[in-house]
Amino acid sequence: MKTLTLALSVVVLAGCAAMAKVDSGDRTVGDRLAVNIEGAWNHLQAPGLGPAQTWTREGLTVDQLLLYSGIKNGELVHAPSRSGREKDFAFRAGMLPDEIVAMYEGMLTRDGSSFKLTRLEPSPFGGLKGFRFDFVLTRKLDNVVLSGMGWGVVSKEELFAILYMAPRLVFFSRHAAQVEKIALSAKVRE
Amino acid sequence: MPARFARPEVGTDEGGLWAMMDRQETRLQRSPFAIRDAGLRDYVQEIACRLGGTHCPDIRVHLVRTPMFNATMAPNGMMQVWTGLMLRMDNEAQLAAVLGHEIGHYVERHTLDRLRDVKSRTAFAQFLGAFGLIGMVGQLATVAGAFGYSRDQERDADRIGAVLMRKAGFDVAEASRVWANLVAEVNSRPEAERAANFPLFATHPGAEERAETLAKLAAEAPGGETGREAWQAKIRPYRREWLAEEIKRGRREESITLLTRLIAGGPEQADYLAARGEVYRLRAQEKDFDAAIADFTAAVALGGETPEAHRGLAYIFRQRNQLPEARASFQRYIEAAPQAPDVAMIRSYLEELGK
Repeated sequence: MKTLTLALSVVVLAGCAAMAKVDSGDRTVGDRLAVNIEGAWNHLQAPGLGPAQTWTREGLTVDQLLLYSGIKNGELVHAPSRSGREKDFAFRAGMLPDEIVAMYEGMLTRDGSSFKLTRLEPSPFGGLKGFRFDFVLTRKLDNVVLSGMGWGVVSKEELFAILYMAPRLVFFSRHAAQVEKIALSAKVRE
Repeated sequence: MPARFARPEVGTDEGGLWAMMDRQETRLQRSPFAIRDAGLRDYVQEIACRLGGTHCPDIRVHLVRTPMFNATMAPNGMMQVWTGLMLRMDNEAQLAAVLGHEIGHYVERHTLDRLRDVKSRTAFAQFLGAFGLIGMVGQLATVAGAFGYSRDQERDADRIGAVLMRKAGFDVAEASRVWANLVAEVNSRPEAERAANFPLFATHPGAEERAETLAKLAAEAPGGETGREAWQAKIRPYRREWLAEEIKRGRREESITLLTRLIAGGPEQADYLAARGEVYRLRAQEKDFDAAIADFTAAVALGGETPEAHRGLAYIFRQRNQLPEARASFQRYIEAAPQAPDVAMIRSYLEELGK
């Protein structure tokens, strides 16, 4: 946790990152994904964060909501590894739900963290026929166990997805219902 | 071999280093990544003790669930062995080669040498003094860790490891095979990813050089036991879990090279075939689906295959529009793994296929 906090602090102190408030109401993510939110979120804005919008309620070292809008064939789902030591994970247009989950699993375990899928099922997302998955992530960095959930759909060969994760004991249950509402409100523009 | 080390004074740099490692060890013992199976841990501890001789009482083995090739030994006697390393070992002698190498670093106090070297070469000392002695030592140890051991220290550790292997009755020739196998894995990566080495590789001399040197050391006194049967029997209960973790790494080329070697190396192939089939399926390059079907089918023919072999076949059949075959394979998967987390998804496919 200390390392993560330090890394995030460096980004913020370097003056190249900002936290913007996201108010309740209809919000657009990228060109084609729209969601409705109840209650404010914080949106981290900084260069090199990768293709997802990163939102948080409690702070990035605690909870993260990642919103992916229109990820194209071959595009990475995270910021590329700076050292080249970590494996990069990219979306392929023909991916099935299990492969998309495996891609996110790879992304979340690049640092040696452990990912356990607990549910994968069909679920409407964005007004389309998508899928939902639940998982438990044990962070290698600080041994904290996080609960997580995600939704995804591929439309016109582009990936739309939402992932949320937070420590399982308090924070996940505090925000899970709100995140589910956001996912249910999602609309992918055709 | 030096005599057992006495615990250093807390007020010294070495004492500070031990204190920091003691804290790390306490944290490791509580970690969800620690494997708490006493049977496997005691078995690896026993091999470490055969190598460590009089230092045995000071060596404490911890098995860590992380799918990369790595083992470390701290100056206070804490030894970590990762599951990615154990998956890659063919026999006890190969594991002994890595453990003997780490014990070599320990008995030569290489970490302390690196710490003092970094201390003398950096201007960090004054700045870090603000954290107090232990804080300073800790920060410097982190820096030292980032630099890793010198090449000469690695060569020393290799030499000591070979001596310890021979003394314990292991076949030293297996030591060079460890490195040759790793070279094959790294070389199978796409060109752009070659720099991303295994953690243990990062600080070591050229693996080709090490394989050659160790082969020469082995030739000086050939023979010794490999302990293949005992090793294979001991790791069998964990193999599926370790293979699943290996697949999750997403290093498809490396995994194919590793699994091809493991398939060629022994009679119990169904797990390895099913795992390689899954890697081919997920890589999904030209002809990969054909290779995946061949592996899954071979695993099923051998019997005792993982349920995922049927799921893998089903996914490919579905994508190829071979609907009756897809349906039958999905059905077999659900029957074999009714509690699997993706059962609802698979049932939805079955409904689609039933229409």
